[in-house]
Amino acid sequence: MSALGARRLLLTGTVTLASIGTAQAQSTTGTTAGTTIVNTANATYTVNGTAATAQSNTASFVVDRKVNLTVISTQTSPTQVNLGQSGAVTTFQVTNNTNGTQDFLLSANQLIPNGVLTGTDNFDIANLKIYVDSNNNGVYDPGVDTASFIDELPADGRATVFIVGDIPTSPLASMAQVGLDATVAAGGAAGTQGAALIATPLNTLNQDTEIDVVFADDDNDGVLGYDTVRNGQGWAYGVYEVGTHSVNLSVTKTATVISDGVSTINPKALPGAIVQYCLTATNATALTPASGVNLTDVIPANTTYVPGSITVGGIGTGGACLVNGFAQNDDGSQALGPYTGSFNGSNKTVTATIPTLLGGTSVAASFRVKIN
Amino acid sequence: MTLRFLAAVAAVATAASAAAAGPLTMTTRMMIEKRVTAADGSTATQLVPANKAVPGDRITVVLAYRNTGTAPIGSLVLANPVPRNVLYRGSAAGSQTPELSIDGKTFGTLAELRVTTPQGATRAATASDVTHVRWRLSSPVAAGQGGELAFQAVLK
Repeated sequence: MSALGARRLLLTGTVTLASIGTAQAQSTTGTTAGTTIVNTANATYTVNGTAATAQSNTASFVVDRKVNLTVISTQTSPTQVNLGQSGAVTTFQVTNNTNGTQDFLLSANQLIPNGVLTGTDNFDIANLKIYVDSNNNGVYDPGVDTASFIDELPADGRATVFIVGDIPTSPLASMAQVGLDATVAAGGAAGTQGAALIATPLNTLNQDTEIDVVFADDDNDGVLGYDTVRNGQGWAYGVYEVGTHSVNLSVTKTATVISDGVSTINPKALPGAIVQYCLTATNATALTPASGVNLTDVIPANTTYVPGSITVGGIGTGGACLVNGFAQNDDGSQALGPYTGSFNGSNKTVTATIPTLLGGTSVAASFRVKIN
Repeated sequence: MTLRFLAAVAAVATAASAAAAGPLTMTTRMMIEKRVTAADGSTATQLVPANKAVPGDRITVVLAYRNTGTAPIGSLVLANPVPRNVLYRGSAAGSQTPELSIDGKTFGTLAELRVTTPQGATRAATASDVTHVRWRLSSPVAAGQGGELAFQAVLK
C-alpha cells in the first residue's frame, strides 16, 4: 500500500488492519494494558507585577486489560475427505483483539447444536487433535505444527489453528461438524500455557495500580452456538464432508477370430488371422457415475496391432462386441464421439478412455490384432 | 515526592516563585464516563474516578485552581499538555473553552491550526492532532477565589 493510500485511509477515519499490513502504525486494540496514563498541568501568572509559575499534582491511572478475540473458520466450503482417510484437516483463525499479549487455550467439541451449520452431522472424526500453525504457511505440516495452544499472541496478532482427525470407513458416513473453542489466557511466559483469564468483579474497590480484566467480547456464533457474550471465549465451526465414494467397477475381456484368410466360416487362429479383443467395463453401483475410466491392454506377443481398429461404444449382442461404436484415433486425439483411444507403439498398449460411466451401465471397447 | 518536586521547580524558577508555596494551587484529576443503569432501566452517564479504564473510554480531565495568597493573581494562563495515549475530544460542558495547539507553541481554534503532512502539504487540524490545551483567564483571580476547568478526551 502506498503512503498516499495509507494517509487517505487514516484521514477517512476507518482503518482496516488487513490492508495496512502491519499492526504498528495504528492499533485497533488500543493502549497496551498496564500503561500508566499521567496528567500534569502548569501555569504562569503575575502577583503584584512579579511573574511566577506553578505546577499541579500528577494524576495517574493504569490502563486495564480489555479482553476480546475473533475466531473464524477460514474455509469457504467443507473439507472434502475420503472414507478411511487419516489426518483430515479443518482450518481456523484466531485474532487477538485484546490490548495486550495473550495465550489462547484451545479445545474442540464434536457435538454441534442443530442449525448452527447446514447439513446433518452423522459421524465423528477419530483421534481428534488441535495444532497451531508454527510456520505461518496456512497449511498443516505434520511434525512441524505441534503446539496445542497459542503462545504469546500480540495485540492484533493472528494465529492459524488446525483440527486434525481420521475419517471412518463406514460407507454411511457423510458429514462431520466440529467446533473450535478459543479461551483468552494470561500471556507473559513464552513456551508456558497461561491460565484462562477471569474478569475482575465490577464491585472491586479502587484498583488504581493493578490491571483489571474486563471481558469485552461479543457472542460471535449467534443464538444456537455455544458462545455467550463477554465470557473471554470465541467459537467457530468447521465441516468435513465425505466426497468420494468407491464404485463397483469391473472389466471383462473376450477374444474372437474375425477372419483367417482361408476359411469362409469358423475362422481359425492361423498366422495372418485377424483377432478381435472386446473389453467390457461395467459400473455396477447404481446412481454413482464413475469418471475418467481408463481401459488399457497390452497386445499379445506374436501379434501386430491393426491400425485404426480401436472402437468404443455400447454393449453389443449376438457375437458383436459393441453397437453404436465410435472409431478412435491411434494418436489419442479426440475423434467423433465422447470417447478417446490411442495405441502406443513402443510399449504395445491400447488405451480407451470413457469420460463418464453412469451407474448401472456398461461400455465396450474393441481393437484388432493380426497373428504374426 | 513533594520535596523532589520542590527542588526541581526551584532549579528553573526564580526565588520569588517557589511554586509549591506560591499563592496558586492547582489540583488535577482524571474522571471516566461510566454508564449507570438506574432501577427503572434507564441509563445515565456518571463521572467516576479513573480506576478501571480500558481503551475507548471517555475521560474528562479536570483542573481546579485557587488563589491561596492575599494578593490578586493576574495574567493567569493554565496549560495542560494532552497525556500520552489520550486524544483530545472537546471542551467540557460548564468549562471555559480552551485554546488548542498542535505543537505546544501556537495556540488557537481547530479551524485556525494547520498540520503539515509528511508529503509537505498542509491540512486543517482535527481534535486528534491537539497536543496542548490552554486557558487564559481574562480577569484576575482575587484572594481566596478559584475555579475549575475541564476538557474531554478519549483513551486510545
